Amino acid sequence: MSGEYMVEIVDLHKRFGFHEVLKGVNLKVKPSEVLVVVGPSGSGKSTMLRCVNGLEHATSGHVFIEGVDITQHGIDINAMRQKVGIVFQSFNLFPHLTVLRNVTLAPVKVKKMDAAEAEEKALRLLERVGLKEKAEAYPAHLSGGQQQRVAIARALAMDPDLMLFDEVTSALDPELVKEVLDVMKDLAREGMTMMVVTHEMGFAKEVGDRLIFMDDGVIVEEGPPEDIFTNPRSPRAIDFFSKILSHL
Amino acid sequence: MEVMGINGKTRIALWVIGIVAAAALVAFLAVFFTRFEAGKKFVDEFFNWRVFEKTMPYVARGLWVTVKLAVISEVCILAAGLMVAMVRISKVKPFRFLAAVYIDVIRGMPLLLQIFIVYFGLAYMGLNLSQFVAGVIALTICYAAYEAEIFRAGIESIHKGQMEAARSLGMGYLKAMRYVILPQAIRNVIPPLSNEFIALLKDTALVATIGLAEVFFRGREMMGKYASVTPLMGAALCYLIITLPLMRLVQYMTTRLSMKD
Ligand SMILES: Nc1ncnc2c1ncn2[C@@H]1O[C@H](COP(=O)(O)OP(=O)(O)OP(=O)(O)O)[C@@H](O)[C@H]1O
Ligand SMILES: [Mg+2]
Repeated sequence: MSGEYMVEIVDLHKRFGFHEVLKGVNLKVKPSEVLVVVGPSGSGKSTMLRCVNGLEHATSGHVFIEGVDITQHGIDINAMRQKVGIVFQSFNLFPHLTVLRNVTLAPVKVKKMDAAEAEEKALRLLERVGLKEKAEAYPAHLSGGQQQRVAIARALAMDPDLMLFDEVTSALDPELVKEVLDVMKDLAREGMTMMVVTHEMGFAKEVGDRLIFMDDGVIVEEGPPEDIFTNPRSPRAIDFFSKILSHL
Repeated sequence: MEVMGINGKTRIALWVIGIVAAAALVAFLAVFFTRFEAGKKFVDEFFNWRVFEKTMPYVARGLWVTVKLAVISEVCILAAGLMVAMVRISKVKPFRFLAAVYIDVIRGMPLLLQIFIVYFGLAYMGLNLSQFVAGVIALTICYAAYEAEIFRAGIESIHKGQMEAARSLGMGYLKAMRYVILPQAIRNVIPPLSNEFIALLKDTALVATIGLAEVFFRGREMMGKYASVTPLMGAALCYLIITLPLMRLVQYMTTRLSMKD
């Protein structure tokens, strides 16, 4: 496999017990591409994303990150994960650590970065997500939108080449969604490769280079976001978009 | 503040009734213990000041042994308990099974029996341990099983998203445990572990049965020598001096910790 693609997923299957959740996913993501992933609940979006950073083990098939197959045995998964940042719907900040320590923990403990250097870097990242003044606060004292921005800064602190976002605004109050999406838009503009599971169609249209529609464990449609919104072909996609777009 | 719909007047009435009842009880006991033959005999047996004065210094010196035994054991228990808990939740099935068997077998046996098995068992093998060391080993083996379960519950109470977030940042399992999971889990287990420590302090008395001269042992020795129950009451006092403040401290810590949430 060449390193031409940031991510290459080949015939990926994932089963939980007898329940086959991914039924042969094939996907390529180029560097600097922003891929939007949509689909009904239970279609396997999260599972696919989690296979990309090894949180789930593929039942069969391959996932290449920068040309390296992370499904093979003996791979240094911790090293691979440093290249792949992930942001979760439920933030998952470390509640016992300050915002600053949340961001510096992995660089210091994993990359063995010097503490002062890590702090300086963390403060730069916090500034970038607009939360420098909250550096000494604990996560419990932040709003959902602020927590999610810290989570993004925490992932960026490892200098990932790829960022995964799994419905990162779904748990937020509507008025807090924008501040998180704005940070993600900035990231996209700066050329970060991103795989974004979201229901935010406005975001998909504005920054998505490509959109895939998943249903029942496979990719059903794929193309520029605008095209798929306005002109979905499969019945399942037509049904899905008519429901979602009527809510906007 | 209204408690369960009790209004001011009723509350005052309840207080009055309570105080009167308590006063009546005190008066009754005072009369019983000073005026009646059975009462006087009871006081003479259990609270004989003369015997108390003579035996207390000797009994109280056992407190040092008791506390040393409890503290040294507790350090070993915490380390062993945490280790057993980690094995108990590990991904390796045979290890997990062994840890589960250990925990259940130990918790299914009397501590007294375990103390005997360690002390006399090892003696048969030619390993002559001091009573103190045998006590530390037996208490550790026993209490580590209980505290492993407490640690496990504490670790499992941490949302799995925490482990996933840590691993996603490139931390290995042990690093994620050490820097993310355990610091949160330990906060949750401080109150139950403190209660275990209080239980341990009292259970050290069982080590007297293999001849360790701690508080209970000395109390019993003096009971025989003076033919009086009073030294045992002195021993009881020794335990209470330590356990009562500890219990208050645990109560205080528990409310403080839950307030922070
Ligand atoms: N660890 C697991 N064990 C068993 N089943 C699982 C597990 N994780 C996910 N599933 C199942 O896999 C299916 C797909 O889940 P997944 O979370 O990938 O869907 P999704 O597309 O992200 O849905 P949503 O929009 O609700 O987040 C669901 O039916 C879910 O119940
Ligand atoms: Mg999902």
